[in-house]
Amino acid sequence: MFRFIHSSDLHIGKRFGTMPEELRGRLRDARHTVLDRLALQARAGGAGTILLAGDCFDTETPSPAMLRQALAAMAGHAPLRWILLPGNHDSLLADELWAATRAALPANVLLATEPGPIEIEPGVAILPAPCTTRRPGRDLTEWMDRAATADGALRIGLAHGAIQSFSEDGGGLDIIAPDRASRAGLDYLALGDWHGQMRIEPRCWYSGAPEQDRFKHEGPGRALLVALAGPGAMPEVTPVETGSFDWRMLPLELLSGEDAATALAERLPSGSVRRQVLLRVVASGRQRPQARAALDAAVAAVAPEFAHLVLDAEALATDCESADLDAIDRAGALRQAADRLLAESQDEARPSNEREAARDALVRLFSYCEAMPS
Amino acid sequence: MKLTALRLHNVRRFAGRGIAVEGIGDGVNVLCAVNEFGKSTCFDALHALFFQPHTGTPGAVQGLRPYSGGNPLVEADIRTGEGAFRLTKQYYGGRRATVRELATGRLVAQADEAERFIAGLVQGGTSGPAGLLWVRQGITGIDRRAKSDEEGEKRARETVLTSVQGEVESLTGGRRMAQAVAACEEELSRLVTATGRPKAGGPYAQAIEERDRLLEAERKLAGEVRELREALDRRRALRVRLAELESPEQQATRQREVAQAEAAFAAAKAHGEALRTAEVEAALARNGRDAAAQALDGQRRNAARFAVLRELEAEGRRKRDEALERQRAAGEAGQAAALAVDAAEAAEREARDLLTRLERALRARDAAEALAVTRQAYAKAEAGRAEVETIQAELKALALPAAAVKQLEAVETELVGLRAVVAAHAPLLRIDYREGVSAAIALDGVALADGEERALTRNAVLEIEGVGRLGLTLPQGADGQDDLGRAEARRLTLLEGLGVSGLAEARARESAIRDLSGRLELAKQRLGLLAPDGLPALQEKIARLEAQSAGAAEASEDPEAMRGALVAAEARVTASRMEQRGAQAARDQASATVVEAERALASVASELTGLAAMLGAEEGRAAREAELASALADAERIWAAAQAQVESLRAGAADVAGAEAKYRRMRSVADGATAEIGKLREEAAELNGRIRGQADAAVAEAWQEARDKLATAGARLATLEREVALLTRLRGALDTARTEAREHYFAPVMRELRPLLGLLFEDATVTFDEETLLPRTVSRNGLEEPVGVLSGGMREQLAVLTRLAFARLLAKDGQPAPVILDDALVYSDDDRIERMFDALHRQASNQQIIVFSCRQRAFAELGGNSLQMVPWSPEG
Repeated sequence: MFRFIHSSDLHIGKRFGTMPEELRGRLRDARHTVLDRLALQARAGGAGTILLAGDCFDTETPSPAMLRQALAAMAGHAPLRWILLPGNHDSLLADELWAATRAALPANVLLATEPGPIEIEPGVAILPAPCTTRRPGRDLTEWMDRAATADGALRIGLAHGAIQSFSEDGGGLDIIAPDRASRAGLDYLALGDWHGQMRIEPRCWYSGAPEQDRFKHEGPGRALLVALAGPGAMPEVTPVETGSFDWRMLPLELLSGEDAATALAERLPSGSVRRQVLLRVVASGRQRPQARAALDAAVAAVAPEFAHLVLDAEALATDCESADLDAIDRAGALRQAADRLLAESQDEARPSNEREAARDALVRLFSYCEAMPS
Repeated sequence: MKLTALRLHNVRRFAGRGIAVEGIGDGVNVLCAVNEFGKSTCFDALHALFFQPHTGTPGAVQGLRPYSGGNPLVEADIRTGEGAFRLTKQYYGGRRATVRELATGRLVAQADEAERFIAGLVQGGTSGPAGLLWVRQGITGIDRRAKSDEEGEKRARETVLTSVQGEVESLTGGRRMAQAVAACEEELSRLVTATGRPKAGGPYAQAIEERDRLLEAERKLAGEVRELREALDRRRALRVRLAELESPEQQATRQREVAQAEAAFAAAKAHGEALRTAEVEAALARNGRDAAAQALDGQRRNAARFAVLRELEAEGRRKRDEALERQRAAGEAGQAAALAVDAAEAAEREARDLLTRLERALRARDAAEALAVTRQAYAKAEAGRAEVETIQAELKALALPAAAVKQLEAVETELVGLRAVVAAHAPLLRIDYREGVSAAIALDGVALADGEERALTRNAVLEIEGVGRLGLTLPQGADGQDDLGRAEARRLTLLEGLGVSGLAEARARESAIRDLSGRLELAKQRLGLLAPDGLPALQEKIARLEAQSAGAAEASEDPEAMRGALVAAEARVTASRMEQRGAQAARDQASATVVEAERALASVASELTGLAAMLGAEEGRAAREAELASALADAERIWAAAQAQVESLRAGAADVAGAEAKYRRMRSVADGATAEIGKLREEAAELNGRIRGQADAAVAEAWQEARDKLATAGARLATLEREVALLTRLRGALDTARTEAREHYFAPVMRELRPLLGLLFEDATVTFDEETLLPRTVSRNGLEEPVGVLSGGMREQLAVLTRLAFARLLAKDGQPAPVILDDALVYSDDDRIERMFDALHRQASNQQIIVFSCRQRAFAELGGNSLQMVPWSPEG
């Protein structure tokens, strides 16, 4: 029985420039400490090897400290064995990176930079398909079909890239054959690039990123614990949690009249994990101006508890009824202004930006009037 | 709505107690009290009741609280179309709001519902402002009261139009509108300037700056990343190239190729040398053959030539001999011609001598004849000359000076004159003798005849016979005697000079001279004809002719015949000379021919001699030729062999240039590779440094970060832009609504205002602007003054009247509203106040007006329902 951890897309060094300053350091640090969590899972699952299927580093030139710290962390987990595959972000073109890695390579770290079988231990051959460039433009795993390995050895493919055109970088030419595992007689094909975990077939998986970095994939960062009983045997694949931060999207479909603040409160994660949660509330539907203001207020109120909380209300329309306008004024010039803004916001003949400005202006007028002593 | 009562407790100075104003009726109600009595407290409390929610404690509410604390309570009874109600609000502790039906005490609404009820009262329906109309000290009650005096002053100077517009606006838009506009303006002003440009230092401008800064940073980092990638690509290429260049096989191949090319080059060079040698030899052989062929050919040609020359020599000799013969003949002919010339010349000379002699004789004969004639002419000329000389001598004797006769004639004429003068002056003597007596008297010895008159010209003596002598003395010097005397003397001198006795003689001489001169002229002419050149010339001619004629002999021959002979002789000379010349030319030509023939012959001979020497003895010539022919055959053979050798070498020749070029190329390839290796290593080292520098700076990470930040900044900017757009739109909407409301209410309010204004200016005629309906001019006591700038009093009166006009407007719409005035007429004089109150009363027929004032005296006369404050405490 050969057990290993399959992971990919660590993107060590990613700086998260879009995030608030105070969060950035934590996010970066989480990408580094995920190495420890991977090692933890390996030991817990009885695995001696960790396969990293590409994009260990976010760029071709991580800072020397970042690189050395990552290598030191790997070295610190000896005798665990780490096998690093160059991905599209840290392809072989990044020769400075790989040269620097080689120069400081710990004994328990192996670089899979050549497309040829590596016998990591008797009876276990790794068949890596390192990315030669950022966009290789061809299926780099093709060679595995013809690759000879010792009789009775496990054949484990290691590759990085898309099998459909759902690549993270939206490429298309360099698509890995989805049936490569069976074609090349692989016992398992460990894929990287897609940040969400995904089974392609029983012998072919995307491990997903062990630490998420965007609001795209549900669930915390995960890796795969893979156990191979022997050549030809079906792999036993177990997802294991490795994420530190939880990036979530919270769709909030609202009906006019619905209490958005309550709806939100019901669906927010419990308080204890909020510190590690990055949440994007995507509101849609329709709301009355007061309710809309209440939603804003609720989001603002709860936001500090989260690592990050944003409200995306692009798809949320504002509904106004006469009672809402009464809150502004029942009569007089102010009411007239509100009426006009409402009409303008609903006038399909106007350009969308004008309608939007009118709607925003109306909501703002509401907020002014709310704040006024009456 | 109408107010019927107001009660308050624990409000301001009424700590722990309360007051009530009951019985507020229709029409004008006046609460007149001294200051600090609680009027303004009432006013403020009433305002709070209607406008401050019971839940809040804003400044207006805080202002109601007594210094000692407590919970202010305000209560008002009102009457509306729906009935009578009691409104109660308590602030702070026990805060509450209730509406009860006054009649039954039934609780109609409380808390928020009560607030809504109250708001419904003051905010009226859809037609505009409603509920209460407030005026406080010339400023609307709805305005915040924090305006400074300065501001008040400024406003007091505003025009009627501005004032009324302001009032209408505050009534129509109200405080909420003003606050909304202010809030919008404030938010907008933080972002943009008045002209809509991003405000320096504001969040919007900062966001733009941040975005621009990040854009620049991103661009710079992108450039660095690109540079890094290029450097990496370049280094990779370098490394590939270096690996290629430095691979041992490649190096060995290069060296091998160089060695091979060098060997090939050397072989090609050696072959080339051999070929060159063979070519030289072949050339030599060819030269040998050519020489042999030439020798044989020469021999043969010489032999042939020799034969030809022999014939030529014989021919030459013959020609020369012929020429010599011709030369000799020509020489003889020449001599004969010369002799002929001599003869002809001698004959000519003879003929010429003969002719000369004959002509000389003929001339001597002519000269002798001329001599005789000349001698005769000479003799005649001599005689003529003698005659001339004679006449000349005679003339010389008779000659008179040219002018002498003229002078003489002049003197004579003068004398006659003078004598006449003397005679005229001289006394006349006349004696008339008595009969019988005669010649008795003599003058100067001359007897005087009877009757004779004698003039006395000088002293005279009369001898009178028988009487004696009578002396007459005349005075001297007078009467022209002297002049006469001098003229006479001159005449005498002249006559002496001329040698004549008198003028007649002189004239005779002149005549004689003329005759002689004529004769002389004739004689001279004769002489001139005879000897035109003078006698000496004649003499010379005679001498010459004498000489010429000397030796004159008889000439017998005929001169004409002689001349013909001479001409013939001369023609013969010419002809013979021509002949001689021709003979000479023939001889010259013959000589030339001879020379030429000689020369030709000599040339042939010389050539012959040369050829003979070359050809050698006659008998060896054939052998010699055979020898030469054999030599040629040998040479031909040698040349052919050499040529064959060249051909064979040439056929096998390698391309030396090509081999050399290849060698050089291989050499340069090898050298180039070495140089390139050096260069590449250098470049790689430099690239290494650069890449390491940029890689160490984690430039790609920084770039990614900058891009993310830029996106964030862009999003933030977009948000702000959206904010600006919404605020701009909101402000626009509010402004438009405000303007429209103002315009909407303005005209109706002005219509209501107009009669009220007329009231105010009772003692004057007011003209109104047709469009704005505002007072334009005021005619007072015949003086018309424009109503441009308003006094403070006027301004506040306008404010009050505008409220009244509004109230009328609302009343007409069936929504009567009380007008509440708190010291609204501080600037107005009593007279004007009175007039205002007339207006109020007139207005108040169907309108509730509540006036708070401290001006007791001024207001005392106003009439109306006088209100009183009475102590009050809430129930329970």
